[in-house]
Amino acid sequence: MTKASRITGFITIGLVPALVLYLLFVIVPIFWSAYYGFFDWKGIGAAKFIGLANYAEVIKDPIFWKAFKNNMLVVVASVFGQVPIAMILALLLMRSTLFQRMIRASVFMPMVLSSVVVGIIWGYIYHPQIGILNFMLDGIGLDSWKKAWLSDPKISMYALMVPIIWNYIGPYMIMFIAALQNISPEVEDASKLDGVGPVRKLFAITLPMIWDTVKVAIVLCISGSLKAFDLIYVMTGGGPAHSTELLASYMYNSTFNVYRFGFGSAISTAIIILSLILITGSQYLMKRDYR
Amino acid sequence: MNQVVLPQAGLSSAGSNKSKKIWLKGIKNVFLTIYALVTLYPLIWLFISAFKSNEEFYSRPFLLPTVWKWDNIVRAWKVSGMGLSLWNSTVVTVLSLVLTLVIGALAAYILSRFSFRLKPFFMGLFLLGMLIPVHSTLVPLFILMKKIGILNTYAALILPYTAFELPLAIFVLAAYLVTIPKEIEEAALIDGTGYWGIFFRMMMPLSMPALSTIAILGFLRFWNDFAFALVFISKPALKTVPLSLSAFATGYMTDYELTMAALAIAVLPTIIVFLLFQEQIMKGMTAGAVKG
Repeated sequence: MTKASRITGFITIGLVPALVLYLLFVIVPIFWSAYYGFFDWKGIGAAKFIGLANYAEVIKDPIFWKAFKNNMLVVVASVFGQVPIAMILALLLMRSTLFQRMIRASVFMPMVLSSVVVGIIWGYIYHPQIGILNFMLDGIGLDSWKKAWLSDPKISMYALMVPIIWNYIGPYMIMFIAALQNISPEVEDASKLDGVGPVRKLFAITLPMIWDTVKVAIVLCISGSLKAFDLIYVMTGGGPAHSTELLASYMYNSTFNVYRFGFGSAISTAIIILSLILITGSQYLMKRDYR
Repeated sequence: MNQVVLPQAGLSSAGSNKSKKIWLKGIKNVFLTIYALVTLYPLIWLFISAFKSNEEFYSRPFLLPTVWKWDNIVRAWKVSGMGLSLWNSTVVTVLSLVLTLVIGALAAYILSRFSFRLKPFFMGLFLLGMLIPVHSTLVPLFILMKKIGILNTYAALILPYTAFELPLAIFVLAAYLVTIPKEIEEAALIDGTGYWGIFFRMMMPLSMPALSTIAILGFLRFWNDFAFALVFISKPALKTVPLSLSAFATGYMTDYELTMAALAIAVLPTIIVFLLFQEQIMKGMTAGAVKG
């Protein structure tokens, strides 16, 4: 056997397991869901070809767009909730003393918990009769603020924002700390010599210097919002009356609760298309903005 | 006189500046401590409630239990079948990790060390996987697994876990392998070691730091996964921890002491792993999020 053919053989045998698994379980499903979107199928029995009917239904479906709007609400909450809180914490936690590292670990902690656990805990916090949030409002004399947090369709989506923000601050904070620590100490010295006050320093020097990281964080908020399924599923299941439905939970409910596999596949395809548009679009905008 | 007073004035103003700094630092630390406690409060509350009676769960929600009911944990363990779920989660997580590490490292070694025509295409293909929202593949994967008959088996979780972890594993490992000097490999080739020998006996041990990062992140991802388990597993005997917890909490919603105790058992493994590998987890998950 020649050396070249030995190398080719090694490359082939080495890549095949990764490629087969990856293609079969990650790439092929995308095309499958696009294909099954053309069928009316209950999960058992024969699938009936119905052309573009499922896709047309998705586009006209008010609940689908309601779910999309809720996904966008999660993005907004992440950009204006997670990012500023993470930034303030990062500015206060730049030194790596034992105390600071302990605080960082506490802020990060929710990230390693199963979202089922997080969902159940927050379900109890929001519980109308035995929830500690309503008990707390009682305790400080604000009983008029007491609500059925998760079962009132007007506020349930906003109530869900709190655990979502709480859960994901950690990685943003770590990103910002790394970026802040990368600012060279000469900048610090120069601003001290020029007598720049702390507030002006923050807005005129520090923030512009780590602006690229902030942009990355905003792109992450967008792609992260598409991943919020578990929490919603455990806490509200998308209800009441679809008020907390996200794209992923609507896809799940349409497929596995009412057994419309074709319609669910069409929603899956729509999710892929929407998320690719959102992610590439946001990256393009960010790049253009940056000279 | 003046000459004596002036430096003193300077000194005292520096002193007040210093005390102002100490005050600011104190306020900052108090704020941070309160913030951390508020963040951890749901978890603290969980661990306290796990030892309360049902009645105390709502009559004394913020206080410590009057009597610590340690047998809540024992009862929750028995009633929820937590032993079986922990076993299932362990099997699925360990097998997925082994598969991810071996297959991922092999692909990363080839993609970082050899040049061939299709290499840029394969790199692009694996990068694409990071843009695909996991949940959008649930329906087609369910159909696929039904067709090949692996629904309700360990494979229904192990294979997709590995497949979705591969892009991250390959990119982290490839970035690490590039830093290992080529001369080591050339010397081994001259000594007559084959590529498989180089991979298993040199590259795998040398890339231990990258492998351990992937292993820790993979552990958290596989152990905590809910969506795949929810869709692909319905047999009670195969339920993983998050899946059986969600079923348990729905069934025993009003038995607070049991639910809380079951939750406490379930979160303990990940909390221990986090406390052991904090720095690695925080850096790794952040890097994983940025790449993913």
